Amino acid sequence: MKTKARKDSIRKRRKIEEKYSWDRMNDAEEERKSHSNRAIIATLVVIGIFFTYMVKLYEVQVSSYEYYSTKSDSNRIKIRPVPAARGKIFDRNGKVIAKNISTFDLIVKKELIKNKEEFLEKASRIIKLDSNQKKNIINQFKNRRLKDITLLEDVTMDEYSKISVDKHILPEIELSVKSRRSYTHPYVTAHVLGYIGKVSDSDIESEVVKIQEGMVEIGKLGIERFYQNILAGESGFEKLETDAFGEVIRTLETKEPRRGDDIYLTIDLNLQKFVYKKMKNKEGSVIVMNPNNGEILAFVSAPGYNINLFTKSISNKDYNKLLQDKRKPMINRAINGQYPPASTIKPFIGLIALDEGIINSKKFVSCSGAYKLANHKRPFKCWKKEGHGPADLSYAITQSCDVFFYRVSELIGIDIISENLYKYGFGQKTYIDLYNESIGLIPDRAWKRKKLQQPWYPGETLNVGIGQGYFLSTPIQLTLATASIATAGQTYTPHLFLRSQDSKTGDFINYEAEDNKFITPNVDHDSLDIVHHAMWRVSNERGVGTASRLKKIGNIEIAGKTGTAQVYSQDAEKGQSSKKILQDHALFISYAPFENPEIVVTVIVEHGGGGSSTAAPIARDTIEYYMENKKTVVSNNE
Amino acid sequence: MSEYIRDGVKPFSGLSSLLHIDAKLFIAIIIITIFGLTTIYSSSGGDLSLVIKQFTRVTIGIVTMIFIAQVHPDNLKLFAPILFFFTLALLILVLFFGVGNTADRWLDLYFIRFQPSELMKIFVPLMVAYYYSDKPLPPRTKYIFVTIIIVLTPVLMIIKQPDLGTALLIGMSGAIAILLAGISLKFFIGSTVGGFLLIPVLWMNMRDYQKERVLTFFNPESDPMGSGYHLMQSKIALGSGGFFGKGLFNGTQSKLGFVPEHSTDFIFTAFGEEFGFLGVILLMTLYLFIALRGLSISVKATDNFGRILSGTLSLTIFLYVLVNVGMVIGFLPVVGAPLPFMSYGGTSMVTLFATFGMIMSIKSHQRILRK
Repeated sequence: MKTKARKDSIRKRRKIEEKYSWDRMNDAEEERKSHSNRAIIATLVVIGIFFTYMVKLYEVQVSSYEYYSTKSDSNRIKIRPVPAARGKIFDRNGKVIAKNISTFDLIVKKELIKNKEEFLEKASRIIKLDSNQKKNIINQFKNRRLKDITLLEDVTMDEYSKISVDKHILPEIELSVKSRRSYTHPYVTAHVLGYIGKVSDSDIESEVVKIQEGMVEIGKLGIERFYQNILAGESGFEKLETDAFGEVIRTLETKEPRRGDDIYLTIDLNLQKFVYKKMKNKEGSVIVMNPNNGEILAFVSAPGYNINLFTKSISNKDYNKLLQDKRKPMINRAINGQYPPASTIKPFIGLIALDEGIINSKKFVSCSGAYKLANHKRPFKCWKKEGHGPADLSYAITQSCDVFFYRVSELIGIDIISENLYKYGFGQKTYIDLYNESIGLIPDRAWKRKKLQQPWYPGETLNVGIGQGYFLSTPIQLTLATASIATAGQTYTPHLFLRSQDSKTGDFINYEAEDNKFITPNVDHDSLDIVHHAMWRVSNERGVGTASRLKKIGNIEIAGKTGTAQVYSQDAEKGQSSKKILQDHALFISYAPFENPEIVVTVIVEHGGGGSSTAAPIARDTIEYYMENKKTVVSNNE
Repeated sequence: MSEYIRDGVKPFSGLSSLLHIDAKLFIAIIIITIFGLTTIYSSSGGDLSLVIKQFTRVTIGIVTMIFIAQVHPDNLKLFAPILFFFTLALLILVLFFGVGNTADRWLDLYFIRFQPSELMKIFVPLMVAYYYSDKPLPPRTKYIFVTIIIVLTPVLMIIKQPDLGTALLIGMSGAIAILLAGISLKFFIGSTVGGFLLIPVLWMNMRDYQKERVLTFFNPESDPMGSGYHLMQSKIALGSGGFFGKGLFNGTQSKLGFVPEHSTDFIFTAFGEEFGFLGVILLMTLYLFIALRGLSISVKATDNFGRILSGTLSLTIFLYVLVNVGMVIGFLPVVGAPLPFMSYGGTSMVTLFATFGMIMSIKSHQRILRK
């Protein structure tokens, strides 16, 4: 009880104390002091935090100034590349064959597109898009180099006004003027020029082409590819200040692009057109070259194809059609067509034999229509069943006697044959100014062991001796080899580039002969004379030469050699497929005029039949056309 | 006291003592507002109408400050509970009738639109100071609990609006008041631990955009084009200012729209971009001076009300600066907190001047009891 009363009284007193704040009044000085202490602590805390902040601010503003300053600039400064106009391409007489035209494209800037699916849906409501076009648009989204999505290319004003009606669905669409490559003779010059297309990853990885900022299109094939760096010029740029929403505030700096240089080709467009016409409905290749300097006057691979399709982005449908075309128009047969040289190799085998001292001009081989090789059951047949009788080299070339060359090549042996064939440019690049040239094939022991794990059989040497078997060469190789006979051993790298014209100064830069990468074969002059003359006989000795039935061209004499390559086909064995496929390839190598050769003409017609009946007339007409129009063809050749 | 003697030789000292104005504080504040007006003018690309609007607010603020400075602290004490509960009532009104874009913070009274939560920034410290004015200090635990309730009631209402930033600032100002009143170490630790335990509760009640901001703070690079974008861009602006700044009207980051809210919450960025580290040193030193001047006034105050009020208010202003700048330099998450006397905005400007009106009133109405 007592304690309870005491507790109560203490509580009461406290309540009174609290009510009148007695304790406070007592401790006024104490309170002031303790507050001062807390204020001092607060001051220290405040100053401490202040300095922490200042250190951080110093770090951001002073230490990291460079870093943030760069970031700030890259925020506001956008470099917009201004692509350079591509140089034009002319023939040797200044006729334009590749130019740039203005077209209107329907585009949408990528930055305006927020939702890709929605965009596609809206776009297909305005323009009927098939699945291929949609795929194409999706691919454009993926290509980071593209800043715009191109919905439609080459829009006419009529089309545009129709589309404008539905423009509210997709207000972001705009018409953009674009420069597009246009080829004046797309089929005729297809395999010379190649084409240009959108820059792809493989272009970026490629070492032969220079990729510039803002470059959208690039040469993909042909001259467009090989001389890409000359044709492209230098792109300029605009340095723009933009705000956070990408709107341009002002232009800070401009660098005008430098237009690409124009290129003049060695091609004579009229001759090219003439030859292409001759090859109409045929597959094969014709090359006309000046042996005295390597200038290619006509370079035809038939059939051609419409390279203008590629300058727009080619539709999958068109592309597949080209790929699946049985005539294979996209193969450049002049440098990638690999054919057995057949009898056209005989002059070279003859030269090798003469050089090696195996034969001389008086050496005769008797042809009975077949040649019997030791340890070989079947005799090697000559094309003439009844045989040629005794034949020397000149006669053997004129008559294209197989037996003579069986015998000779057996005597030389495959090792010396293959070694010497390289001298004439077979089995290696000619270094023509086009990429991806095929090198053909000179078969030898090492090759066969490696490739087929088989030893070399003597019979195969005989096949190589008449340009058959595994032996493969390209039309451009044959042309170069023929040139070495025409010029008595003086050869030049075949080329399509005549000169370029600097877009700024207007100066011409001519093809430099030092660029010759081909080693001239060192052949005895007398040996060449023998073969040279034999090739004259081929087309001039009536009733003897395999091409002597050719109509004469005034007083111009042609030297040449026919060839008929036997085509082995699986279909042929089954006897199932059409007649045409079974036919042999027709070949003809030639040069004219005989005394002082100005042009070398090589003709290969796939499945054309006999060289003398199909290929030789084309060469003859080409030479005639050249001779008649010589003045214009050569006039501009300074 | 030596200070009074020095005041005597100062120009305007007669005028300032007559108006109950602390000249040093006033000059510091005016320099900051001039910085603010210049930055607003520059970063808006020369929009004079914004500057005139802001200047009007500054004028209203100065008038309010001078008016409040005339009020004797005893009368302030008298009005404290009335003002507090009146504003609390307004907050309840906001919850029902508030207007605003993303959050309902504004009360539209037809002739004036204002944020009651801004008023709470002064009235919470005022109420706490009033409550402690007749209590023995350091306060007993039960009094502390009462003050916690005083602080938490408006804070929870403001969180509900939702305006997490203001709510936290008010909560902090309440905490500062309690700390200045003096609490034991044991209680301090206990409440800190308690506060941390409350974080998950707070997190669950947060809106998605608020959560996002906090997450962005901890990992700003996670979303460079989203909420982290603002932070990155404001850092770039500040950093690209360098030591001397890009110069007036040359703040490309702010002017070209890379820094959002360059006149309001991110005005420090725009200032730092154009005036550089040099300008930042000056500005921060002015804020430090204001805070320390306020603390020194609180030390010299003659009663607990004056001590707690002026101490809390000046520390709170400094806290606002720390929160705003801390958010810009990445010390703190992005919360909507204006930079005192700089940011474009009406209620905050007037409230801030009113705050200093109170501090000046406490300073100038001291009973001269001390040596």
